[in-house]
Amino acid sequence: MTDHGCNNETSSGVTRRTVLGVSAGVTAASLVPLRLDAQEQVPVPGPENGPTTHISFQVNGERVTIDVDGRASLLDLLRERLALTGTKKGCDHGQCGACTVHLDGRPVSSCLTMAAKVDGRQVTTIEGLARGDELHPMQQAFIDNDALQCGYCTPGQIMSAVACVTQGQATDPGAIREFMSGNICRCGAYVGILAAIAQAAETMEG
Amino acid sequence: MPAEVFSDIARVDARGKVLGQTQYGADMHLPGMLYAMLVPATVAKGAVSNIDITPATETSGVVRVLSLGDFPTLSPEINYLGYPIAMVVAETLEAAIEGAEAITATYETAPFIPLMDSPGATVVPSEGFDTGDVDTEFQNAAEIVEGTFETPAQHHNAMELFGTVAHWSGGRLTVYEGCQNSDSARNALAEAMGISPELVTVKSDYVGGGFGQKSPPKLQTALVAEAARLTQRPVKLVTPRGQLFHIANYRPRSIHNIRLTANSEGRLTAIDYDVVQENWPDGGFRSNGYHEDVARLYAIGNLRATAGDIYIDRNMPRHTRGTHPFPAGFALESAIDEMAYRLGVDPVQLRLDHEATTDIIVGQPLAPHFLNDCLREGARRFDWSRRTPEPGSMTLEDGTLVGLGVACGIFGASGSAAETTLRVRADGTTRIISSGHEMGQGIRTAVANAIVQGLDVNPDRIEILLGDTSVGPQMATVGERGTASIIPATVKAVQALRARFEELAGPNPPAGNLHQQLARLKRPYIEVTASELAPGQDASALEAFRTGRRAGAGSEYPGFTSMSYIAQFVEIHIEPGTRRIRMPRAVSIADIGRVVSPRTARGQMHGGVVWGFSTALREQSEVDPRFAGYLNDDLADYVMAVNADIGEVDVGLIDKPDTMVNSAGVKGMGELVMLGTAPAIANAIYHATGKRIRKLPIRIEDVL
Amino acid sequence: MRGLNYTFAETADAAVTQFAEAGGSARYIAGGTNIYDLMKLGIERPAHLIDVSRIEGLDAIETDGDVLRFGGRALMADVARAPVVRDEYPVLAESLLKAASQQLRNMATVGGNLLQRTRCMYFRNGAGSSTTVGVYLCNKREPGSGCAALGGLDRTQAVLGTSEACTAVAPGDWPVALAAMDATIEVFGPEGTRNIPIADFYLLPGDTPHREFNINPGELVTAITVRKTPAGRTSTYHKIRDRESYAFALASAAVAVEMDGDAVRTARIALGGVATTPWRASAAERVVVGSSLTPELALEAGHAAFTEARPGQHNAFKVELGARVIADALIIAAQRRV
Repeated sequence: MTDHGCNNETSSGVTRRTVLGVSAGVTAASLVPLRLDAQEQVPVPGPENGPTTHISFQVNGERVTIDVDGRASLLDLLRERLALTGTKKGCDHGQCGACTVHLDGRPVSSCLTMAAKVDGRQVTTIEGLARGDELHPMQQAFIDNDALQCGYCTPGQIMSAVACVTQGQATDPGAIREFMSGNICRCGAYVGILAAIAQAAETMEG
Repeated sequence: MPAEVFSDIARVDARGKVLGQTQYGADMHLPGMLYAMLVPATVAKGAVSNIDITPATETSGVVRVLSLGDFPTLSPEINYLGYPIAMVVAETLEAAIEGAEAITATYETAPFIPLMDSPGATVVPSEGFDTGDVDTEFQNAAEIVEGTFETPAQHHNAMELFGTVAHWSGGRLTVYEGCQNSDSARNALAEAMGISPELVTVKSDYVGGGFGQKSPPKLQTALVAEAARLTQRPVKLVTPRGQLFHIANYRPRSIHNIRLTANSEGRLTAIDYDVVQENWPDGGFRSNGYHEDVARLYAIGNLRATAGDIYIDRNMPRHTRGTHPFPAGFALESAIDEMAYRLGVDPVQLRLDHEATTDIIVGQPLAPHFLNDCLREGARRFDWSRRTPEPGSMTLEDGTLVGLGVACGIFGASGSAAETTLRVRADGTTRIISSGHEMGQGIRTAVANAIVQGLDVNPDRIEILLGDTSVGPQMATVGERGTASIIPATVKAVQALRARFEELAGPNPPAGNLHQQLARLKRPYIEVTASELAPGQDASALEAFRTGRRAGAGSEYPGFTSMSYIAQFVEIHIEPGTRRIRMPRAVSIADIGRVVSPRTARGQMHGGVVWGFSTALREQSEVDPRFAGYLNDDLADYVMAVNADIGEVDVGLIDKPDTMVNSAGVKGMGELVMLGTAPAIANAIYHATGKRIRKLPIRIEDVL
Repeated sequence: MRGLNYTFAETADAAVTQFAEAGGSARYIAGGTNIYDLMKLGIERPAHLIDVSRIEGLDAIETDGDVLRFGGRALMADVARAPVVRDEYPVLAESLLKAASQQLRNMATVGGNLLQRTRCMYFRNGAGSSTTVGVYLCNKREPGSGCAALGGLDRTQAVLGTSEACTAVAPGDWPVALAAMDATIEVFGPEGTRNIPIADFYLLPGDTPHREFNINPGELVTAITVRKTPAGRTSTYHKIRDRESYAFALASAAVAVEMDGDAVRTARIALGGVATTPWRASAAERVVVGSSLTPELALEAGHAAFTEARPGQHNAFKVELGARVIADALIIAAQRRV
C-alpha cells in the first residue's frame, strides 16, 4: 500500500467510523477518572475495518454504545477502544486468566469473549471495583497480604477472587486454590493470594 | 552500616496495582495510534526467496507494511523459526492481524541443527577450570558418586507479553516498553534509528515480570519505532505468546556430568564436573559459568570443571531466573544427597559439616555468611528430625509415599556503582531519582523503606522515579543486583540529607516532621545527590553508570567474594496408584544480608518456591527436531504451576548484614530464591521412592 | 482472522435459517471458548457467526422426570451446581468442575463442549496464524495432507482408537462422563430433530479424521439427556493431568457402579485423555461385574481397558497410568455407596 492509499483508507474509514453516541463519548472520557493524565490518553476510537456490530452495554455502571469490529474480543474492546487497560492480555487464548472481568456478575475470560456478545449486558472490570477512594475489601486484602509482585496478573486475580467469595467457594484453602487456578501468577504470589481471599472472605461476609 | 533491622512496610506501589491503574508498556494509549503485527518466518534456516505482501496492503485498514529490505533487521536470511520477515501496521489490531496473516512467503531452506543431540551437533569446548588435585582425590576416594543430570530448555513466560508503544515528536523518539535494561534499550534504538541517544527516551516504569527475558534489547522494538517514523503516528505492538516463544530468549537445555568424592573420614574432597549446553556461536550465556557459584557452596577443595557449547539453529538462549547456578545446583545438590546416603550421614548434617570459608575459584576468603543458620532454622521449622532416611520408609495411611528433601542454593552477590538524587520538600512530598526497574521484586518499596527508616517524611508521598531514561541513568536490573546496588546509594543520600538538614537547622531545629521543619525554616526543599561504588570500583564505574554503560562488579571483589545463600526443604507426596506427585509443604530460609524490605522479600521467597517447583515438576519447552520450533508455544501446553499446585510455604530470612559487600550490608535474592527447590524435590522423590531422577522436569511417568 | 458478520438467533429455527442463508460460511457460536480460540489459531475461518447463546429455553436444566435434561446452551458452571447433578451424579458434576477454569466454565456451554476439538498441538499450533508460528501437516485441518504428530512429540497423543491418519486425543471431560452414563444427544437442524446415542456421536478417525462428530452442517446441539439411575450416586470422574488444575487430562476415567455388598452389579467405565474419542471401556466393565471389588481386580479391569492400546514413542506410560486411573476411580466410586 502506498502512502496515498493509506490516506484514502483513513479518510474512507471515517464512513465506517465507530459510532460512539454522545452519552457514550462522555462515558468513555470518564472511564479512566483515576489516571493522572486521563484527558491526554483517552483514545478517540479509530475507524473499524471489518464488518462491525452495533452493541450497547454497561461498563462499570456506565453505558457504552459502539460499533465494534465483529472479530474483536471484549478484551481488545476494553483495552484498545475504551482505554480500560487495567484488564491485561497475557495469552489471548483463555490460558492465563489475566483478562478476567465480570460479565453479568460472573468471571469470564475477556480474551475469548467476543465483543459482540456483550450487547445488552453488564461488564465490570478492575477499574469498577473500588467505590471512589475506598478500595474493595478484596483489593485491600491483596495489599495487606502482599498478594502480588509485578502486578500484571493482579486485576484478573482480584476479579476471580471476588467471585470466589461471592460464590461461596472460599470455604477452605483447597477450595480457594482450586477456584483460583484459572489465574496464573508467574511471580508466584499464590501464598499471598490464598491469604488475601481468606481475609476478604471474612470482611465481605461480615 | 545500618545496625538495626528494617521495619515491615506495605508494598508502596500495591495500591495502583490492585486498582488496575499501574501502567505497563502496552497500556499506553496515544491519539492516532496504529497497531502492528509481525509476520514470522515458517522455516528454521534458509532464506526468503519470495514474499507477497500485496494481500496485506490490500487489506482494509492496513496503513503500511514493512517488508524485506525496509529495515536492516528485515533481511531474507533466516536463522531460526519465527524470525520476523515483515510487520503490518494498521488502524486496528484486527486489521493488522488480518494483514499479517495474508502475507505469504516461499523459502530456500537449509539444513539445521535443532537440538544439542541432533545429528551433526558437535561440542565446542570453552575454557575450563582446575584447582587442587582432583585425580589424586579420586584415587584416594572412599566413595564416588556420579551422575548425568539434565535440565531442559525453559521459557521465562512473564505474564506481561512484550509490548511496545513508539512515537516520535519533534525528532525525538519515545518508547514505552517493559524492559529490565532501559538504558541499553535506548542505546540500541539510537543505533538502529541512526540518531543520538539523547533523542531517545525509553519508559519502563513498571514491568509485568522479567525473569531475565526482558534484559537484552528486543528485535521488534526498533521495528515499531521505524513504523512510527514512517507513518508519523504512534504505533503499538504486542507480540503474541506463540511468537515470543520463538524470538525471545530462554534457558538453554544443559547436560551435566558430575562426579563427587568423599574420603574415609566422610569429608567431601573433590568435584569433577563437565557441562554442555545449547548456545549460539556468539551467544550471550557462557557455558563455563556453571561451576563458578556452586563451587563456593561447600568446603570442597578440589575442582575440575570443563564446559562446552553445542550450537543450535534456534533463537538465542540467555539468562533465565536462576541462570547457571540452577542447573548446576540441581546436579550438585542431587549428588550431595546421594553421597549422604552413601556415607550414612544426614544430608543436612553433611552440608553443615562442609561450611565454606574460601572461594576456591579465586582463591580468597568468602565474606561472612549464614548458610548454616539457614539450614538449622529450616530444619527446625520443617521438623526435619522426624525424617527416617530409608527410601520409602515414610507413608501415609492410604499408602501415599512421603519424601522429605533438602537442598541449598548459592548466587553471586554482585553490585553496581549507582547514584541517586533525593529531594524532600516543605509541601509534604519527597522525590528520589533512582535507578533500576520495578518488576515486582519490590525495588521501589526497598527504596522507600530506606528513606522512611532514616528520615521523618510522609511515607505515602514519596515519588520514586526509575525505569525511565529521561529521569536519569537506569541500571540493568539483572543478576539480582538492583536492590543491592541502589540501596547503599539511597542510604547514603538519606544520611547526607539528614546532615545537610542539621547543618541548615542548627542546634535548635523547629518541631514537626522534616517537611514541617523545612516549611518553618522557609526552605521549599533540600536536595542531595549521593553515589556509591561497589567494593574495588573507582570513579570510572560511576561514569559508566551515568552514561548507561556496564557499571557492575562482583561477586568477586578485591580480597573477598560475596554470595547469597538459601536452604530449602520440601515435603513430597506420591499417590500410591497413579503416582501423582504433590508438594504439600515447603520451608525456605535465606541469607541475603540485611533485609531492606521484609514484606516484598518474603514475597520473593514465596515466589521462588513456586518457580522452583514449576521448573522441577512442570516446565519444558518442547522442540520438535523436524521443525526446530517450540511445539508447546502457549500457556496451556507450556505447563506452569497454578495455585492448586502450591501447598503451605513457610519462609524466613536470616537478616544479618554482609559487612563486606556494601555499606548497607545488602545482597540480592531474585535469582537465589528458586535455586534449592528443584534439587530438594528430586531428593524428596528419591526419599519417597528410592528412585534418583536426574532429568527435569520430573513427570508422572518418571515415578509410575 | 478475516472480518465477519455477527448475528444473534432468538430461536433454534431462526438459527438454522440463518445458517442456511449464510451458505456454508457460517458457524454457530455459543460460549465461544473453542471456536473463537480456533479462529485466532487460523483453524476456523467463518465469515458469519450465529450466536445461539440467547435462544430462549435452550439453557434449561431439567432434573424432575425420569431423565436429566440439559439444554444445549446451559453453562458448564450452572449444570455442575444444579443440586441433583451435584448430589446424585458426582461423575457429571466432577467432569465439569475438573474441566478448564471457573472463568471458562462460566462461558462454555454443555452442548458446545461436546464439539470441542482436539488439543493435539500439531492440529492447534500449526495452522500458520499470527498467534503461533509452526506450520504442521494435519489431516484434521486439511484432509489427506498428512499427520505431523506421527513421528513427532507424541507424549500427549492417544493410545486407543488411533489410525495411521490421526492420533489426536478427544479433549473433553464432560463427554467422557456422558459416555459412561449412556447419554443421548439431541440435535436440531434443517431436517428437524435427531436423537443420537453418545456412543454414535463421536467418530473414530480412521481415514477421515476431519469427520469428528455425527452432526450435519446446520445442526445445533439442543439438549443432552441422561436416563436417571442409582448408579449416578456411586460414581466419580477421576482425572490426572500435568498439574493439579486447569489442564487437560493425561488420563481420566468416568466410573459409575451399582454395588451389591462388596460385589459389583453393574459398571460403567469411560476413559478420557487416552483415546481419539470419549472411550467406553466395556472390557474393563466385564472384568468387575459380578465380582467382589478388590484393588487387585480394579487394576485388572484397568489393564483390560488397554489391551488394544497402540502407544507411540513417548506415550506408553498412558497405558499403565490409564489402568491405574480406572482402578482408583472404581474404588472411589464404590466407596460412595450410602
